[in-house]
Parts: sequence; C-alpha cells; structure tokens
Amino acid sequence: MAISKTEIEKLAKLAKLSFSDEELERFTAEFDEIIAFADTINQYIEGGTEQIRSVGARIVSFDDLRPDEVKPSLPSEKILSNVEGHNGFFRVERSKK
Amino acid sequence: MRMGITELAVKLRKREISAVELAKAYIDAIEELNPVLNAYVHLTFDTALEAAGQADQLLKEGDAPLLCGIPMALKDNICTDGLPTTCCSKILNGFKPYYDATVWGKLKKQGAVLLGKTNMDEFAMGSTSETSCYGAPRNPRNTNYVTGGSSGGSAAAVCANLAVYSLGSDTGGSIRQPASFCGVVGLKPTYGAVSRYGLIAYGSSLDQIGPLTNSVKDAAIVFDAIKGVDNRDQTSVDFDYGSSLAEYLDRDIKGIRIGVAEEFFDGINPEIKSKIEEAIKLFERNGAVIENIRIPALKLALPVYYIIACAEASSNLGRYDGIRYGYRTPSYTSIDDMIVKTRSEGFGDEVKRRIMLGTYVLSSGYYDAYYKKACLIREEINREFDAVFEKCDVLVAPTAPSTAFPLNCRRTSPVEMYLSDICTVPVNIAGVPAISVPCGMDSNGLPIGMQIIGRRFGEATILQAAHFYEQNAGEVVSAYEGGARI
Repeated sequence: MAISKTEIEKLAKLAKLSFSDEELERFTAEFDEIIAFADTINQYIEGGTEQIRSVGARIVSFDDLRPDEVKPSLPSEKILSNVEGHNGFFRVERSKK
Repeated sequence: MRMGITELAVKLRKREISAVELAKAYIDAIEELNPVLNAYVHLTFDTALEAAGQADQLLKEGDAPLLCGIPMALKDNICTDGLPTTCCSKILNGFKPYYDATVWGKLKKQGAVLLGKTNMDEFAMGSTSETSCYGAPRNPRNTNYVTGGSSGGSAAAVCANLAVYSLGSDTGGSIRQPASFCGVVGLKPTYGAVSRYGLIAYGSSLDQIGPLTNSVKDAAIVFDAIKGVDNRDQTSVDFDYGSSLAEYLDRDIKGIRIGVAEEFFDGINPEIKSKIEEAIKLFERNGAVIENIRIPALKLALPVYYIIACAEASSNLGRYDGIRYGYRTPSYTSIDDMIVKTRSEGFGDEVKRRIMLGTYVLSSGYYDAYYKKACLIREEINREFDAVFEKCDVLVAPTAPSTAFPLNCRRTSPVEMYLSDICTVPVNIAGVPAISVPCGMDSNGLPIGMQIIGRRFGEATILQAAHFYEQNAGEVVSAYEGGARI
C-alpha cells in the first residue's frame, strides 16, 4: 500500500515532528518500504488466520495492591538541575497571550 | 591470559593489586584505545578512582562482595545519578539523571568501579551502533567493521579489555548480536528477571538489561548481582533461582534435550550454519539429546517485533519535549513550535522513522490492522515457544544471520537492516532468556555467535549449556591482544 505525502505530514503532526521538503520525499519513499514490511503480517494471516485464536482481555487483579504510603519526592533543586536559568519552575513560552 | 571476575577478586583480596591500581590499568588502556574504538562516550575516571579507593578500604576490612573493586562499564541508557546518560542522542545532550537505575544501585552497593558510559545506537534503535550521535564504535577485532548494536560500545569495551564486564540492554537482540559480532558473551535475561527501573525506555514490553562479559561464568556472576524483584518496576518478578547461578555451571549436560528449529537457520550464512552444527554435534557426543522441532510462527516474528517495539517507542519517546532536560531548540515562536523543533532537531533519522511507524500502527484506522494483529500473533509465538519447551530444555540457534558488516555499508535500506535481527527478536517477543557465546570465526577472522535459548526463568540451564560448550570447544575465537595490562 503506497502512502501519500499528505498522510506522512499528518503522521508527523501527530508525532510532533516536522520534515523539510527534501526529508519528506525521502521519508515517504522509505516509509512505503517499511509499511510493506509491516504488511507481511497481513499476508500470512490471510493465508491462515484460523490458527490465531483471539486473546481475551487480560484479567487484572486489584486485590493485592500495596498500601498507599506517602514517600518523600526528589528535591526540586535536583529536578531543576538539568535546565538553565530556571526560577524555581520550568520555564516555557507563554501559551496564552 | 585474561583474568575473570573470580581471579581478579582473589588477586584483590591477596593484595597482589589494589583496586586503585586495577582501575588505573583500565584507565590507561581506555586512554590508549578509546580514541580509535570509540567504545566509551562519557568517561567517569574521577568517580572511578574515588570508588576504587573506597573499595580498597572495604577489601581491607574483609567481607567485601565479589564485585568490589572490579572495573566495569554501563550502556549510556542506564541512569547514573549525577553522571551523563544520553542514550547517545542529541535530544538528551548534557542530561545528568537525578537517580540511579536499580541495577547500578545494586552494583554500586557491591563496590563496583564505573569507568564510563558506553556507545550505542541512538535510543537503542539499530543493529550496528552507527546511529549514535557520537559516531559509531569500532569492532576491536577489525576496526573497519561495526561492533553490532545496539549495545556496541559495551561489547567493544569488554572485547578490548577496557572493562572487565559491562551492562547492556536488549529489546530485539541488542546484547546478543554485538556480543556475537565482537566475540564475547552476552546474556539477555527473562523479561522480569532484572528491574528496568532507570533504564531509559524503548519498547517497554521487550526491554531487558543484561551483562556482556568475557566468559559464561562472569555472565552468571553479574546476572546474580543484578537480578531480583523491585517495587519500582511492576513487571519485575520475584523468582527464586535457589543458590547462586554460578553454582549450576559445572553440572553435567548428559540427557539435556536440545531443540533445533529449522526456521532459525533459513537464510543463514553457510559458514555460521556449519559452526553451529559442529557445536550441536559436540553437545550430542557428550550425551545431549537433539530434537528437531518446528516453530512456524517464527517467520512472523520480525514484522511483529517492529510493529510492537515502534508502537511502544512512539509512546515512550513522547516525553522528550525540551522542557525539563536535554536539548532545547534555540529559536521558536510558541510552545508547540518549540516542542516540534526540539524533537525534529534532537532525534536522528532512525528514531524518527520508528516514532513515525509506531504512530502509524497506533493511529485510528490502522490499530486493528497492525498493532492488535501483532499482539495476537505475539500470543501465538508464545504458545509455540511454550510447546517447544515441553519437549526441550534449551534451543540452539545462530545469534545473527551474518558476522559483523563493514562500517557504513547498509545505510541505504532500513528494512534490509531490520532483517538482520531475525534470529534474536523471537526471544524478546516470547520474554524468554538467551545467551550468545562465541563459537568460531569466519574466513575473514570475524567472530560467530551461538545462541542458547531457555524457558522463562531458565537462566541456570542456558548458562550451564553455554559454560559446557565454552569449556569443551577449545579456543574458538582468538584472544584479543591489548587492553588493560594487569
């Protein structure tokens, strides 16, 4: 199944990535090959789906949960140590003007 | 003769060498060889010497743990408090975690001496370590060839004796394949045997941390030290292995049932096939029972792996936005623009490809056709593995369909590169353990690896079989000349 440039642009938006025109050309071509590779699961299944039984929803037990204890969190100075120029908060661009 | 962990531990206890002297020998070797091999991307010599000094103190007091004072390395995706951890990606440039991964916490408690963080494919996505933002590490056996990946730096460091042992991570073969390419031992433990807390996530249902070592015994020792349940990783399992894994190694292999599945040998380089067949004969001559078996669903493993791993990666890598750590784009107009630019400039091509594939297979309209179907086939693969392990104790297979490739040779087709993971990914899909041991050299003098696969939590049996082979096959891979002089 060939994938269009518009579809790649839509996916890039969902993934919060952007591509230049040249990158988009290259990526669309590569992506076609990758999707064809992923599609091989469908070919095999069409040849014999009956042996693949469906798996029911896994049963998750909530009977054996640990007690909800309050524990100290990491100090904010340490958490902020990876950003420059903080004022006790992570700084980002104003989102509403 | 290269010394293993036990021999070095004895030497340290007899005061024939101090931990500081041992660390210095490794630091000298790294300074000499790393400019060529590029095995390490962050060096931590100051903290290594400090840890070695403390180890000497502990050794003097007596009762020091086995790994006390032993110099080692960690893959650059294992968090180390206050020391760089970048996944070899520009997007984590300068990142210093504020906590230790559980595995590193355990080793540190034993007095381990960390020499540095090793090179890898960016976010562990690759089979050659060439997608690292620091450039590819080189195979110590022949520096024109790749180390394999993604734990390429960890394999090269152990091969060239720039670390006694290292830890890597394995999502689709990333410990075993570079171990095979560099001629060292690599163990991918059972999913859940080792805590993933502090391992930067790629494919969370597949990732597992494990050792790369120069011998099977060392792999058993390191696995013993890092395994165990951890309440900070809900997928870790409280499994009782009994006594230390190293104690199982010398058990007789007589009567052990070895499965050989033809699906693992499809399209394998004939030189590799013949070396594995020789190894199987060695097992048979010594009383192992060989069973020819079939695992038909294996042919589906590769696309299933790429669909599931990329789906998980697209979610896991959503956290990199430039706000709290790592790289942030210098110019932007809004918060959305900042996130998109940061991610587009910070991630390399292979990472972007996998995020895009993951986004695609999870997106509306394609979820059922790809992701859900891949999960169903995964269950089928698991069932087939379960059935096989009712008849067999271990499976023997090649680790990789070829030996190491020349550097820069496969950049043109991503899918062709994915196909090279054919022998290793089924193991991650099924969550079973597997070890790669060297089993010969090809006509170019490059190492060949044999994979021994076990049932879930069957590490003792695969280590036992691998140790038997290592002790009885003779010198299958020539010793590497160079590295630390002790």
